[in-house]
Amino acid sequence: MIFKISHAEFCNIKKGLLFISPWIIGMALFVGYPIVASIYYSFTDFSVLLPPVGIGFQNYSDLLKDDLFWKSLNNTLLYAAISLPLGLGLSLFLALFLNQPIKFRDGFRAVYFLPSLVPLIPLAILWQWIFNSRFGILNGILNPLLQPLQASAPNWLEDPMWTKPALVLTRLWGVGASMIIFLAALQEVPKELYESAEIDGVTHWRKFFNITLPLISPAIYFNLIVGIIASLQFFAVPFVMLGRGPADSSYFFTMYIYDAAFKYLRMGYASAMAWLMFILTLILTILASRVSSRFVHYETDNL
Amino acid sequence: MPQLKRKLNNPFIYFSAIVLAGIAALVVLTAVILPCLAFDLFPSYFRSDIHEGRIKIEYWEKWTGFEGEAMQKVIDKFNQSQSRIWVEKRPISRIEQRFLVSVAGKNPPDLAGLQAFMIPNFAEKGALKSLDELASEFNIKKEDYLSVFWDMGVYQNKLYALPTTPATLALHYNKRLFREAGLDPDKPPQTLDELDSMAEKLTRYNNKGKIKTIGFTPSYPGWWLWAWGFWFGGRLTDEKGRITMDDAGNVKSLVWVQNYARKYGLVRLQEFEGGFGRLLFASPQNPFLTEQVAMELQGVWMFNFIDKYNPKLEWGVAPFPAVEGLENVTLADCDDLVIPTDAPHPREAFEFISFVQQQENMELLCMEQRKFSPLKKVSEDFWIKHPHPYIKLFYELAESPNAKTQPMIPMFQQMREEMNSAFSEVWLLKKTPEQALERVQNRIHRAWESQKRVEEAKSKSQNSRLGKK
Amino acid sequence: MFLSLAAIVAAFILLKHSDKPQIKKLANTLFLCGEAYLLFHVLHLIISIIQYGVSDFSVLLTVGETYVLVQSFAEYTKRSRLRRKLIIAHAVVIIGSIAFLFPLVWMVSTALKLPGQAMSYPPKLIEFPMRFENFKTCLNYQGFQFNLYARNTLYLCILSVLGTILSSSLVAYGFSRIKWRGRDFCFYLTLATMMIPFPVYMIPLFRLFRLYNWVGTFKPLWIPAFFSSAFHVFLMRQFFMNIPHDLSEAAFMDGAGDFRIYWSVILPLAKPVLLVVGLFQFLNTWNDFLGPLIYLSDQKRYTLSLGLQFFQSQHGGTDWNLLMAASTLVIIPIVILFLCTQKTFLRGMTMSGLRGG
Repeated sequence: MIFKISHAEFCNIKKGLLFISPWIIGMALFVGYPIVASIYYSFTDFSVLLPPVGIGFQNYSDLLKDDLFWKSLNNTLLYAAISLPLGLGLSLFLALFLNQPIKFRDGFRAVYFLPSLVPLIPLAILWQWIFNSRFGILNGILNPLLQPLQASAPNWLEDPMWTKPALVLTRLWGVGASMIIFLAALQEVPKELYESAEIDGVTHWRKFFNITLPLISPAIYFNLIVGIIASLQFFAVPFVMLGRGPADSSYFFTMYIYDAAFKYLRMGYASAMAWLMFILTLILTILASRVSSRFVHYETDNL
Repeated sequence: MPQLKRKLNNPFIYFSAIVLAGIAALVVLTAVILPCLAFDLFPSYFRSDIHEGRIKIEYWEKWTGFEGEAMQKVIDKFNQSQSRIWVEKRPISRIEQRFLVSVAGKNPPDLAGLQAFMIPNFAEKGALKSLDELASEFNIKKEDYLSVFWDMGVYQNKLYALPTTPATLALHYNKRLFREAGLDPDKPPQTLDELDSMAEKLTRYNNKGKIKTIGFTPSYPGWWLWAWGFWFGGRLTDEKGRITMDDAGNVKSLVWVQNYARKYGLVRLQEFEGGFGRLLFASPQNPFLTEQVAMELQGVWMFNFIDKYNPKLEWGVAPFPAVEGLENVTLADCDDLVIPTDAPHPREAFEFISFVQQQENMELLCMEQRKFSPLKKVSEDFWIKHPHPYIKLFYELAESPNAKTQPMIPMFQQMREEMNSAFSEVWLLKKTPEQALERVQNRIHRAWESQKRVEEAKSKSQNSRLGKK
Repeated sequence: MFLSLAAIVAAFILLKHSDKPQIKKLANTLFLCGEAYLLFHVLHLIISIIQYGVSDFSVLLTVGETYVLVQSFAEYTKRSRLRRKLIIAHAVVIIGSIAFLFPLVWMVSTALKLPGQAMSYPPKLIEFPMRFENFKTCLNYQGFQFNLYARNTLYLCILSVLGTILSSSLVAYGFSRIKWRGRDFCFYLTLATMMIPFPVYMIPLFRLFRLYNWVGTFKPLWIPAFFSSAFHVFLMRQFFMNIPHDLSEAAFMDGAGDFRIYWSVILPLAKPVLLVVGLFQFLNTWNDFLGPLIYLSDQKRYTLSLGLQFFQSQHGGTDWNLLMAASTLVIIPIVILFLCTQKTFLRGMTMSGLRGG
């Protein structure tokens, strides 16, 4: 026998579905059709202006042979691998310090959160300036410092080796949001635990690793998942600041999707790429969840 | 917070707080929400194709600033000259994407100002209305134009666009720096070898061995990195439409490019060039204007920036030299007007286009934008009154049989991106010219082939449908 | 420099000779000031050594001062570990905030310059006289109309915040407070929708809106908010899951149906997380650029972030100072909003089940 649903269970299912009906209707109206359509498009050649022409798996096989696809994938993964740990580390670091009873703590918190409030277009232009190797303020500070070492500040936006570090820096500037999440989690850690640990004579580092980290592990998990999704979809800042970049060094995956869809009018190809990216994101997220299920300790679920 | 609560317990303060909140809510409602909500609920009431009894033509144009104002003058003149049509210009950024989305959504404007390179792609995908009939009705003929600009609006023998403002490229050079280097300021380089040797003489280093002034570098300004092949007799496609990105002329051009990187040292060049990006172009720090670059390839618009930011600059213009046997080679480009398919009022839109094409209006537009006119017939007044001191040279270059344009094929965008990438790899000394070109040739060729397969599939399904009928 | 040394020594003496709290405070302040000044001096010396080369005297001085700095710091803070940690924390936070604030400071400084001064070399922070009139000029510049666009943006923000709060809380309740089969599966499905990159469903979505005849109006920008968003549902669900069950059970005993429980018990308790979600949604809508770009065609209906494009021009040159001035004006409202709601915002995030146990 397949499904034996009791009357009570059936009532509950009805109630549950009723409550989430806004989401269901929204999915049907706004999300469902576009998603299904884009899967369909990935098996066609679709220039957006003309009706799609079915071509089977050709898009996917072309993709696997396309070295620009691999290059952009490489760029994206490299960027994610660098910016994710750095971002998490920096936001945790700052949150730890902001958790101390510092004067004007609220003001400082606001200061660190402020960068995430800036709209994207002026932000990208601002960074373009700051990284300008001749007139930018960053090299304006670095050059005099590096001069006696016979070195000079890098050409951030022209040297293929330095474009990704530059982009990582812009990402690090925006850690305010994840820092706030860590702060909130840190504030929930009961002080008695620290006090009793001190009485037992536990060192700083052990306090950190055995008390703090486990207790904020759900926040780490949340930031990790959101960070994976965000870094794989990195688009707007490099798009405005750099374009493809020297030797295609700043060509990220989502940018290739955008170009294929809107510049080269190959929406089918772009959809195939997008679904590959979705699968990749899913795999990484599931991996991350599996790994962290060992380390993340939730407050016991009541339901 | 607790203090506030205590205060609120006082009935008087509580009451006045409610009243204030109510007033604020009312203000927000009437000033903000209601007007926008009305627009949302009754959009047809607000949208109209009529302006004071005239048919309204919506014209999307990418120009802002003085270029936009130039077109606005022509529009005002048109609106005043008759009372049936009203043209309204709307400045649109990222016009390529917005145009695509609006046509795809069957919600296009009446008229749009695109750049010539966008036309083949849109035309092939059926986004543009063909203008042949209307052109013959309004007596607009190919013979009235410089052929290179008329051809840019033609795709597969159909006319899809008419030009507004044309442009060509030429060598801009700094006369004062020439004098200082012991070169004759009235004798700009005539051959590529002369260019290279003059560039060497003009390049100056500071006491730390870094470049202070550069004679010439093919990487600046970096807007036509894909086109250097033209000055070496190369081309990107041949007459049969095959991709020839790796032909001998293109290879020669990249060898020339790589020589520059090697000769002056990649690191030194990067340090020197770092920061000369688009951000600086329209500013007093433009390296040509600050006399840090002695010679560059630039377009007819450069005069505007010289005039605005450094009018005292002593500068000259000459055709950019090419290999033996090729004279007056230039790259021509154009801004065009198109009418999208499904446009609501194509005929009225074309009336405006034909108005712009009339000699006096075209000259008004081009004069205000400080460019030359794409028409063959030009009034003497135009040359006399034109502020650009070398405007005639740009015009003559456009007339030259060696005036090249980008390949008018739908895949051009992709080709351009790939050629830029090949330039970058060659410049950064990561690949030899042959390797780089071979790679992009293969990539574009593969894309081209898959396009052909799609075409075959399409025509097969069309034939089968016709067969069924 | 000698002043700072004197201050530090005085601090030590004071501390030793008296136990009155005011004297202690004075000693602390003196000490901190002296240390700070000494630190700056050491840094300055290091920089000048790097720039101008080494000379015996400067090296000696640097080494000496650093030694004094470190030793006095160690001695003074030996009394209480807490103070040392605090001071280090202060230093880190201050230096960090300089780095974080700097681009914004640069933005405002550019807003106060003349067009030609924006890209001068070497870069100057302040150009006198400061051009405050830029803020006035940018309000109505070449098609950018601040008041009109602010009104449109506010309209969108208010409606979408309303929609999000209502719908996301409803959906989150369904995912957390009711036990039903397949619930968790559906929830992970909603999470999965967050992972699909936008360019791909942009065109089908546009065609859909065209079908509904919504293109050209504001509707595509706020109506979807009434159907909840995965991220906000996620956040709210965490919060709801941490509300004790006894409360809803008590209400149930009193004969309340699920909706009553939702409306009268859960929602009032959830005010902090509602604020968090509302703030996030407000921020997103305020800064949203892509949505208005695609769906709004009438210039009178543009939003602020879309309107900023008017300051950019292809060949005609961009007026950087006005662009930055306008951007500053665009940021100010949300900055104020965030500053005012900071405390509650943090409270909303804390109870979102982000702590472990």
